Amino acid sequence: MAAAAALTDAIARLDVRYGARTVVTATTARDRADQRRFLTGTPFDRLSGGIEPGSVVALVGEGTCGKVTMALRAVAGAQRDGATALWVDGARSFDAVAAHRSGVDLHRVVVVRARTGAEVLLAAGAGLRSEGFRLVVVDLGPSFAQVASPDALRPVLAHARGSTSALVVVADAPAIRLSLPTFAFERVSWEDRHGRTVGWTFAVRKLGDPAEDRAVLREAV
Amino acid sequence: MRAVAVVHLRGEVSDARHAKVLDALCRILPRVGVEARGTFACDLRGTTRLLGPPERVGARIVETLARARIAAAVGIAERPFAARVAAERAPAGDVVRIRPAEERSFLAVLPLLTLPMGEEQREELALLGIRDVGAFAELDRGAVLDRFGRAVAAAHALARGEDPGEVRGAPPRRRIVGKRAWDDAITEREQLVFALKSVLDPLATELERDGLAALRLEAKLEREDGPPLQVERLVLPPTANASALLRSLRWGLEERPDEVGRVLGVRVEVTEVEPSRGRQIGLFAADGANEEEAIAVARYLRSRLGPGAVMRAEVADADARLAEREARWEEAVS
Repeated sequence: MAAAAALTDAIARLDVRYGARTVVTATTARDRADQRRFLTGTPFDRLSGGIEPGSVVALVGEGTCGKVTMALRAVAGAQRDGATALWVDGARSFDAVAAHRSGVDLHRVVVVRARTGAEVLLAAGAGLRSEGFRLVVVDLGPSFAQVASPDALRPVLAHARGSTSALVVVADAPAIRLSLPTFAFERVSWEDRHGRTVGWTFAVRKLGDPAEDRAVLREAV
Repeated sequence: MRAVAVVHLRGEVSDARHAKVLDALCRILPRVGVEARGTFACDLRGTTRLLGPPERVGARIVETLARARIAAAVGIAERPFAARVAAERAPAGDVVRIRPAEERSFLAVLPLLTLPMGEEQREELALLGIRDVGAFAELDRGAVLDRFGRAVAAAHALARGEDPGEVRGAPPRRRIVGKRAWDDAITEREQLVFALKSVLDPLATELERDGLAALRLEAKLEREDGPPLQVERLVLPPTANASALLRSLRWGLEERPDEVGRVLGVRVEVTEVEPSRGRQIGLFAADGANEEEAIAVARYLRSRLGPGAVMRAEVADADARLAEREARWEEAVS
């Protein structure tokens, strides 16, 4: 008890001498990070712990496996407190209706139609360096039309660190040379009703997670 | 006693000459305003005890400018308009004083051309037989406003000596400049941006201290392998934030991909400032919610990638049978 009182006293003296909040605890920093983190509102948050500005996350998987849907949910989560998102569309496949259904405010998404890897790097770099976006999504497109590999994004990763934006990379395959927190998506099943497809179920797991934890999500069409 | 001295320069007035005269006048008098390029209005209220009567102040201004080989005439009157007309009509080196009681009669004989109004209105007045300021001043105030509108009504107030006559102070432009030179040339763009930060930090501190925000920046890069490279930036919104200034310069450099070369030194000048205003966004909004920044990025990307590349979408008809009719796309920035 005496030690705690002495510590409190010492902190109070430091605060008086050097100004308020001279000494802060690690919990405070963690609380601040928690406030800035945004969620997708899906079981994916349990695996990822939310997306924090300044971080990079890769969402990978074959076509129609839910990775773009999850990126759209992340955009909606980032917009919840008034922020804008930048979507670098290497595949020219940004679906406005799907985005709207995922809760995205389309007025606060700037879509850049990049044609080459250099244009992807330019757009992503500019978005990450500014303080205008809370989330930058780079959709590299399906494998047959991919404008760049996740490894080619190495130059912009430096901009992501310390940025007010998070970077989400959507690709068919994970990076080979770069070590990014990567979430692999796979389609589990289609859901039919009266011969019509009404939804699908997909699963996501974090690559390299020893616990092999999986989250299963259902999405209506 | 209220008196205004208007200094009107003769001959060609360059930027440097204009700034030099403004600087000299601000050293002599407490309140100096710019009426037009090469024309300055000085409020003489409260200066008599210290500087003497207005005529003496006028003579001192003429002498000071003559020493710098600048020809000027000075008009002194109760209102800036009469003083300006007097200065414009006086020969170089003269000081003309119009007493308050004589102001209206001094203006009355002058042609309508003296007053700021359109050619069309002047011709219409001439058709009505009104050709000089005196005849125009005799017209009814309400009738002028009804028939000719506000601009001519303002000229009518000048003719009648009813203008407010306040001199709005314009302090001389202060140079906010930062310089750095390096022994070894900088060849990498990222290194250069890092080095620019050391130039911009003191500039930002200076701006903040004076409550100013930079609107225009000019960077001159001295290069070993070529002529100096000039980068000009319009900073919107105006800011005193070093990071925002650096970002603006970085984009300026990125717009010239192959031109940077081997840089030996840099000089950055804030060429235009505005009073700093608080920005409410950022106080309450989350990080990354800076809309002006988002628009600036969109504008930059559009300039680099061309039209049709930076877009915003909107759902037109979610149930449309054709996919292309579901959404409407438009340029994110015009």
